[in-house]
Amino acid sequence: RAGGVTLGGVASRIAMEASELWVGFVGAGRMAGGLVRGLLQAGKVPASNVLASAPSDKNLEAWRELGCRTTHCNLEVVHRSTLVFLATKPHILPGVLEEIRPAVGSHHIVVSLVAGVTIQTLQRLLPPWTKVLRIMPNLPCVVQAGAMVFSRGTNAGDEEAALLKSLLSSCGLCEEVPESYIDIHTGLSGSGVAYVYLFAEALAEGAVKMGMPGALASRIAAQTLLGAAKMLLETGEHPAKLRGDVCTPGGTTIYALHQLEKGALRATVMDAVEAATNRACDMAKD
Amino acid sequence: AGILAAHKITASSPDTDLPTVSGLRKMGVNFTVSNKDTVKSSDVLFLAVKPPIIPFILEEVGPDIEARHIVVSCAAGVTISSIEKKLSTFCPTPKVIRCMTNTPVVVREGATVYATGTHADVEDGKLLEQLMASVGFCTEVEEDLIDAVTGLSGSGPAYAFTALDALADGGVKMGLPRRLAVRLGAQALLGAAKMLLESEQHPGQLKDNVCSPGGATIHALHFLESGGFRSLLINAVEASCIRTRELQHLADQEISPAAIKKTLLDKVKLESPSLSVASASKVSLFTSKSKKN
Repeated sequence: RAGGVTLGGVASRIAMEASELWVGFVGAGRMAGGLVRGLLQAGKVPASNVLASAPSDKNLEAWRELGCRTTHCNLEVVHRSTLVFLATKPHILPGVLEEIRPAVGSHHIVVSLVAGVTIQTLQRLLPPWTKVLRIMPNLPCVVQAGAMVFSRGTNAGDEEAALLKSLLSSCGLCEEVPESYIDIHTGLSGSGVAYVYLFAEALAEGAVKMGMPGALASRIAAQTLLGAAKMLLETGEHPAKLRGDVCTPGGTTIYALHQLEKGALRATVMDAVEAATNRACDMAKD
Repeated sequence: AGILAAHKITASSPDTDLPTVSGLRKMGVNFTVSNKDTVKSSDVLFLAVKPPIIPFILEEVGPDIEARHIVVSCAAGVTISSIEKKLSTFCPTPKVIRCMTNTPVVVREGATVYATGTHADVEDGKLLEQLMASVGFCTEVEEDLIDAVTGLSGSGPAYAFTALDALADGGVKMGLPRRLAVRLGAQALLGAAKMLLESEQHPGQLKDNVCSPGGATIHALHFLESGGFRSLLINAVEASCIRTRELQHLADQEISPAAIKKTLLDKVKLESPSLSVASASKVSLFTSKSKKN
């Protein structure tokens, strides 16, 4: 047995751990659903290892259809899982934490998806030995093209961070960040998805105005965004450079871009990210 | 720039009181009031009169244009074909080059483009390029791009001066003495331009490099974007280019003497027997090529 742990050794141990992992979800709403779909799609965790709780059956039906097990008892989730995702609405969380607190042990890894609830708050409401992490995902996790950032609490170490990252990379981009970036991520990418939908809708409407049928226009708009994003990610080039590459002198693109600049699109987008980030900060304070 | 000795340069203007005239004289440039003398003593002839005057100058000096002459017009909006047409009544194959430069040539940081006419050879273009490259950047373009160049680098210095004035105001508002503010503003633009010219990177990337997260610069840039800074600059280049084209269309129509201001016309009639008007100085150059003839 070689001295020290090799990187490959850690990775394979994590991979092994993931497939033997018992994963629980307290709260079974849209975001949790997106995450679990991503996890299951990527085959990281068998559905039978997943247990989700929710007060009503409304959301749980969909989970059962995926092959997950469900309950109405939050304590049961904690008892039967090692990795526990907290996915309740913000105002529900304090009550839930008080409820599950007695059952939380040092073997648990608690990962909160709850918007606006800081690590400090989580650690205050949980036993002092708890390994806490906080994550902010976004909706496209459901199609394994999400963007997620997470931060670790006091007791969460490299192994927990590596495990979370390895699990969630199956849902898209997953990066560890200082907690102060989480609100910014909300403004950029959590809410950002909505900005893109708005842009796609507007693109399609422009095309409809010029005579293209709506359904076709929508599909092409979406594909355009997808393609452009893919090029950005895969070439690693600066967006300004890629933009320049599309603009032939005196051509259609530069004419269109001039319109966008006239409308101060850039500033408006910056305003949007700023507004969402500030709102996230404000909500966290409540 | 040391590319040409002053005594090989001749300039002419009817008005000897212009401040530029004494400046040129001090540099050792030969000065004359006769446009014809200038043409006779030159191989490369720069026409530096105002665009409406060009047809009259060509009328006046046309008979003296010989095969060796390279006629370089710097007049905004005056096409090569209009010059060639005018000169063809005097010379079967006039060599014409059209040029668009900008004011920073005076500090040897000009931006110049040129387009060669029907009878100008490659070497003629290269000669001009060599001359103009000594005072900045110079490259050949297709004539139909010259209007765009006017909008961008022709008028460009004015945009920069405006920006610098405003930047200095910003500095003064925040407590800097005016002179220092102007000096720093100018240096900032100079430095940025130099970085861009010497870098492989896209200006967008260079901008990013200056913007630390949550820092001062990104806050400032947001203001610029909110004000539509980029679109204003695009609008400016577009407006200048379009106006240049308008002027060109006006120039393409034959300007009658009646269109010229009456006072100017009267002054010219007093000075020369033939009808010719020259209201600005005209610089022309000897080159070593003349030795070949």
